[in-house]
Amino acid sequence: MTAAIALHLHDVSKHFGRPAVEHLELTVRRGELYALLGPNGAGKTTTLRMVAGLLAPDGGRIEVMGIDMATQPAAAKQTIAYLPDDPMLYDKLKPMEYLEFVAGLWGVSAKDAAPRATELLDWLDLSKHGHELTEGFSRGMKQKLALAGALIHAPQLLILDEPLTGLDAAAARQVKDLLLHHVEAGGTVILTTHILEVAERMAQRIGIIQHGRLIAEGTLDELRARTDGGTLEDVFLQLTSPA
Amino acid sequence: MRGKPGSAVWLLQHELRMFWFNNGRRTNRRNWLAPVLVAGWLGLHGLAYFLLHDMPDVPAPVVQFVAMAATVLLVVLATFMFSSGLKASVDSLFERGDVDLLLSSPLPSRSIFTVRLGAMTLGVAIVYLALAAPIVNAGLFIGHPEWLAIYAVILAWSTIWCALAMLLTLLLVRVLGARKTRVVAQVLSAIAGAFLFLLAQAQNLLPLGTTASLQDMIAHHIAPGSIFAPDSNLWWAGRAVTGSAVHLLGLACAALALFLFTVQFTHGFFVRGLQQAVSTVRARGKPAAVVQGRFGRSLLHVVLRKEWRLIARDPHLLSQVLLQLLYLLPLGFLILRSEQHAAPGVGAGLTMLAASLTTSLTWIIVAAEDAPDLLQASPAAMRVIRRAKVAAAVLPILALAAIPLVWAVAHDAATGLLMSFTVVAATLCAALTGLWQGRPAARSSFSRRAKGNWVATVVDLVGTLGWAATGFVLIRAASPGQSAYDARWAGISLALALLTLLLAWGTRRRIG
Repeated sequence: MTAAIALHLHDVSKHFGRPAVEHLELTVRRGELYALLGPNGAGKTTTLRMVAGLLAPDGGRIEVMGIDMATQPAAAKQTIAYLPDDPMLYDKLKPMEYLEFVAGLWGVSAKDAAPRATELLDWLDLSKHGHELTEGFSRGMKQKLALAGALIHAPQLLILDEPLTGLDAAAARQVKDLLLHHVEAGGTVILTTHILEVAERMAQRIGIIQHGRLIAEGTLDELRARTDGGTLEDVFLQLTSPA
Repeated sequence: MRGKPGSAVWLLQHELRMFWFNNGRRTNRRNWLAPVLVAGWLGLHGLAYFLLHDMPDVPAPVVQFVAMAATVLLVVLATFMFSSGLKASVDSLFERGDVDLLLSSPLPSRSIFTVRLGAMTLGVAIVYLALAAPIVNAGLFIGHPEWLAIYAVILAWSTIWCALAMLLTLLLVRVLGARKTRVVAQVLSAIAGAFLFLLAQAQNLLPLGTTASLQDMIAHHIAPGSIFAPDSNLWWAGRAVTGSAVHLLGLACAALALFLFTVQFTHGFFVRGLQQAVSTVRARGKPAAVVQGRFGRSLLHVVLRKEWRLIARDPHLLSQVLLQLLYLLPLGFLILRSEQHAAPGVGAGLTMLAASLTTSLTWIIVAAEDAPDLLQASPAAMRVIRRAKVAAAVLPILALAAIPLVWAVAHDAATGLLMSFTVVAATLCAALTGLWQGRPAARSSFSRRAKGNWVATVVDLVGTLGWAATGFVLIRAASPGQSAYDARWAGISLALALLTLLLAWGTRRRIG
């Protein structure tokens, strides 16, 4: 059972004066793309930051690939990559230098990192900007470079917070292709997005979070069955509307 | 009174409001500070009147020397006005991002650039006008209305240097692009401050005996008939300060002509879209070099490389940090001259400089980490990352300090070793204090890093002073014929330095 689970959140809570996440139960299976949706302030980013080990939960337990984040944070982090909506980059580094640094943080060997870095930069169409500092990059290029950094150590679980925000159509397609390829290769993705069509087309399962609690979860068809049906947008609005 | 919306007056009011928001309110001054400053400024009027009211009439030859001194002062002012003008030009044309908005409005574009340059000139001049006001206004009451010319000269001088700064900015933007121009402007502005310090320290920088020969040289060059003679036109601006109508008119006309030319040029620059051509030209000009990564290095190695790269590629930040090195120059000359009596002072100064540089670098490397979440989300041990960051801050400082220290040891082993001890100790303590007391901040707030973190500032300052005092007293105690008195003081200052380190550790916080 555990072998099939990439991420498990058990009774996780986090308060910032007011509750941000409350008694959250969430399970993401290996090899699936899971979309975590919710209105602004629902607790999506807080949840992902706890999964990434950036925030300690006030209560509950988080397991990544069967490893407890609280007791073995380094081992758990070794298996994941986190990409926030504001890319974690250094303005004064060139793309390859950035990947070199990230690979160093994850302790990736030169044998694995060097070809992978070249492959990622080529794939994301960043090789031709190899001599430029990232400070001159567009929002989309920065997001793609951050994604390359997230993938440099071949993570088993990819945690993405609004990965498509600000990307043009071509860049968004490249990122989506990369995520689908990651899942096809056996990796796991959990992402948040406000672009519901992306979740509708890409996600195997969808979780909807509101006021820090998971209010609905399942495949698109399962969610439709719980409501009056329609598009994911219709389902989402029905589930999250106050009435 | 408000100008009609869309008029030049209305736009000028908007520009001045923007200037106030950018320069006045950002400083987070307390409400009580403004009335205190105004009261102090009015008090200076009284002081100026008290000092000048019975001033005798100045004879004509002295007026000539006043004009010469005023010209020299104006040249120094020009450095500051030019650097401020460069920064203001980049800000108002390329950083504020409202030029496109204004140019797309029905306002005539010449009016836009006229108002913008005018507001820039006023913004740069206002500090000097305020500083000159007590003397000029006192002159009105003691029968010297001609001193009002000082106001006109400051405005004309500011106009000239702001216009030149604007022209240079457009030229640099054409060649380098807006971002690099901003860096150049910031670096020039930092250098302007250091220029005055070096001027003040000229006596220490020049070889012994040079001062007298320099005075002779100056006397020779200002003798009647020479190029810098008191009646030379090179002192034109200074003569305008003394109230000479012809010279004042000449200066004002030159300023106005340059102002109009600059407005016309700036207008043409934007209308022809030259600022937009920059990115195209640069994109074509860069070779598509293949960048190879160096993977598989240790965590310590990658952190060191990353930190040093980030600093080396930030010329503005680097200039702000390295300018402190300029203050080493007078100390360095004292060391080279082997003045024994100066050794304790040199040791203390070197210790303070090393600590101060380390504090700056530690702040940049530890507190101003650009991607703390990346470090925290990684499996790398934060303990190792912190050590690597401290090493990244300390190693360059020790490498720099090694040059004067090796010289000092070679010259006098005991003195040199004592200096080395306090320099190394102060450097390490400054780095640890920065590590324990730093608060996350953006690199761009380097010049405001002390604000809002007064505990760290005080701890750092007291620690640095403690080590500097230890260096001073220890080196003096090592000199022949000193009593146990110095050794006692060395113990006290050493205890102070160690106590502050203990305090920094006791109140530590952990960041990035």
